Amino acid sequence: MFEPTEQGKDISIHSGVVLRGANTREDDVHSTGTLSIVEYTFGKCLEWKPTEVSVVSESQDQDPEWSLVNTHTRTRTVSEGTDSLGRSRTVRILLCDLKSFRINRSGQQLTLMLKDGTNYVVYFQLFNADSFVSSLKGFLKFIKSRKDRNMYIVMEAEDSVLEKSFAELDLFQENASDYVWKFVKNLHDRPYETTMEACSKLTDILLHKEPTRPVEEAVADLLNRSLTLDIPQPTILNVAGEEYEVIGEPGVSVVLPPRPPCPRGAPLTQEQWERCKDTDGRITNSEALKEMIFRGGISPTLRYEVWKYLLNYYPWEATNAERIELKNKKTEEYFAMKLQWKTMTPEQETRFSDFRDRKSLIEKDVNRTDRTHPYYHGDNNDHLVQLYDILMTYVMYNFDLGYVQGMSDLLSPILCLMDSEVEAFWCFVGFMNKVSTNFEMDQEGMKLQLSQLHSLVVLTDPQLAQYLDRHESGNMFFCFRWLLVLFKREFNANDILMLWEILWTDLPCKNFLLLVCVAVLDTEKNVLMENRYGFTEILKHINDLSLRIELPWTLSKAEGIYHQLMAVAGLLPDHIRVIIGLEPQLKTAIIDSEEENATAEPQLDVNDSRPSHSTGSGNVIFGNNEVSFERGINLSYM
Amino acid sequence: MAKTYDYLFKLLLIGDSGVGKTCVLFRFSEDAFNTTFISTIGIDFKIRTIDLDNKKVKLQIWDTAGQERFRTITTAYYRGAMGIMLVYDVNNERSFENIKNWIRNIEENASADVEKMLLGNKCDLADRRQVSKQRGEQLAVEYGIKFMETSAKASINVEEAFYTLARDIKAKTEKKLKEASNPTKSGGHALRAPEISRKPPVWLARCSIL
Ligand SMILES: Nc1nc2c(ncn2[C@@H]2O[C@H](COP(=O)(O)OP(=O)(O)OP(=O)(O)O)[C@@H](O)[C@H]2O)c(=O)[nH]1
Ligand SMILES: [Mg+2]
Repeated sequence: MFEPTEQGKDISIHSGVVLRGANTREDDVHSTGTLSIVEYTFGKCLEWKPTEVSVVSESQDQDPEWSLVNTHTRTRTVSEGTDSLGRSRTVRILLCDLKSFRINRSGQQLTLMLKDGTNYVVYFQLFNADSFVSSLKGFLKFIKSRKDRNMYIVMEAEDSVLEKSFAELDLFQENASDYVWKFVKNLHDRPYETTMEACSKLTDILLHKEPTRPVEEAVADLLNRSLTLDIPQPTILNVAGEEYEVIGEPGVSVVLPPRPPCPRGAPLTQEQWERCKDTDGRITNSEALKEMIFRGGISPTLRYEVWKYLLNYYPWEATNAERIELKNKKTEEYFAMKLQWKTMTPEQETRFSDFRDRKSLIEKDVNRTDRTHPYYHGDNNDHLVQLYDILMTYVMYNFDLGYVQGMSDLLSPILCLMDSEVEAFWCFVGFMNKVSTNFEMDQEGMKLQLSQLHSLVVLTDPQLAQYLDRHESGNMFFCFRWLLVLFKREFNANDILMLWEILWTDLPCKNFLLLVCVAVLDTEKNVLMENRYGFTEILKHINDLSLRIELPWTLSKAEGIYHQLMAVAGLLPDHIRVIIGLEPQLKTAIIDSEEENATAEPQLDVNDSRPSHSTGSGNVIFGNNEVSFERGINLSYM
Repeated sequence: MAKTYDYLFKLLLIGDSGVGKTCVLFRFSEDAFNTTFISTIGIDFKIRTIDLDNKKVKLQIWDTAGQERFRTITTAYYRGAMGIMLVYDVNNERSFENIKNWIRNIEENASADVEKMLLGNKCDLADRRQVSKQRGEQLAVEYGIKFMETSAKASINVEEAFYTLARDIKAKTEKKLKEASNPTKSGGHALRAPEISRKPPVWLARCSIL
């Protein structure tokens, strides 16, 4: 954001508009405002200004000492002020930074996507997004996406002036535009060689002339676009083998059947739950229960009870009496472990650096965990003390794993629901037992999941996989946060409870979380590809999805993908079968598959059963992604 | 439509968890501070365009998670960085000692001539200080880099720090461009060493927008 010094000219004003930038928690105060198109000398902007004073103000929390020390603050006009979180309130978006926008299903919401991958969501309270979009028509050229009728792609000025700018800037000895277009054509036919050749040519040229930004941008853009021209059809069978050689992907010849609809169900009710208990309080039919939970989650009031089973604090078959006994035992055990660190003297601590390190990480994170949630809001909040105590006790419970960032995110909803230190602790232990490999020192668990996710995308959506590979994103690092804390940062406080309880059922298959990722990527595919997002923008776009993913829809889709895979289970290569929990077939399953598929050792499948080029020295690249990665480097340095 | 900037610089914030990297970035990009921040998981970036000697310089500033465990992931994003802010917390000795590890990390993962700068953050908390300004300065001298004490909370030196780093990168870039356009005088051809496709001069990395 920038601060214009001049007075802009309002061209079009719409009131009753709420604007949300990325990473705004839904419980933050939303204020209504006006959205206008304003003309400045540096270009036209979309400008959002609040009309109400926000209700909550945290400014009283600020120490008086530091408000005095503000000699270095940028000056800002009073009228713009800041919101309750101290953010600048006026939002200004240059129209030329806008890449595309999408009207959401309700028609009242508009997502603005900028060239750098940043997203803003605009909620129209008084009228439909359509009317705003039509008022944009006078100022922007945009077209409807062919693949998504709610999405509009802004025609960049570059698209039409590209040739002109090449010519004007006289960068090339030969006819500039001819050269570039010829390049693009060759690129399509012989991508690898052409790129290499062009890289050296363009490097020559750029080294001897001062490169001006538009050309670089234009070339980058052009390259990007050319790479996505005439994308092969989704059916993998007709992808030329040559294409795959370039990105180093073995041909996976499985055609998935159409995705079946998988409607969601109603949450598990108290009545249904009670019906599954026998007279002694044993849960008699846990499998049926899990299926109901998978289908619709759990009623909010029942969660407190059922989670203890899902997280293996109580065994399903325990009687009422056994549970009471277990609870007493676990309570004692908890306090014994808690005492271990509580009684650590300061001198002991000075000689116990591993302990100190863990402690200081926890202190820092507890203060930064879900503080906008009412349960953890405000200073001197007792729940923060409990959060701290549980995490410290977990360190004593599993000192080798210690404390790793992200764990406080996993604990926070559990504590909030249990509202009991002991129960929250043991449920957290159960959760950690399911996901502890995410947090291990070598990060092998994360790398394995990222590479499995890549394999799943290759199989279910080769077109997207190819796009990601070609934009240096085949390592799937942009999904890191999703996997590390199981979407905790991506969903609101309610949705995350439902997602997690569904995942804890281990239905319908192993690694269902990865299918949820595939489902979200499937939803975002058009946006990523039609906006021609590159490495940087893909990451930004995915980060900015936070709190804007629709859970039930995503779950249905993920389940649908599961059924698609199962429909061709016998044809799936072993490395895919293993991911979803099927036995490997240990034979050359597919006629024309690369031999690596068959010789893979499923358990050691870190490199996704394709040849590894990883150097093994803590290298960030793994599996065959290195091929595309390096190719990406060549392009990006062009 | 006019171009929106003349230069794009990719910068990186690194340092131990909790030293205030995200807060420093938030102060710089939104001119605000809030106490309810969340820890960084993975990596993200923010953009701010500044004016330097009549040139529009777009800064793309990457914020990484500080915990050592995540370095395999975060170092993947070092590539193409033209400037790095090494941040420690003046109230935390350990974060200062770790700067040397972060420097080593940079040497292994970023290009050799990346501009670096050392920041001692949270200088607003005078009573809890564990690292004196002199020690910060000394360390910076040792590594031949610039140094500033900052406070994201009180908004001290944050603007100055980013402007300084950006200015140094701009000077370096322009010098390289000049050398490259006068190949006879400065041996600019040497820049086009055979390994160009792997390790280009740093200013070329600007195109990594692609
Ligand atoms: N007093 C003071 N506190 C600060 C300052 N900057 C950050 N903090 C506090 O320090 C804590 C950590 O800040 P972050 O910006 O989240 O730290 P980080 O370096 O991004 O940490 P990771 O994301 O875990 O790597 C927060 O609770 C902030 O409130 C500062 O300048 N002064
Ligand atoms: Mg951070």
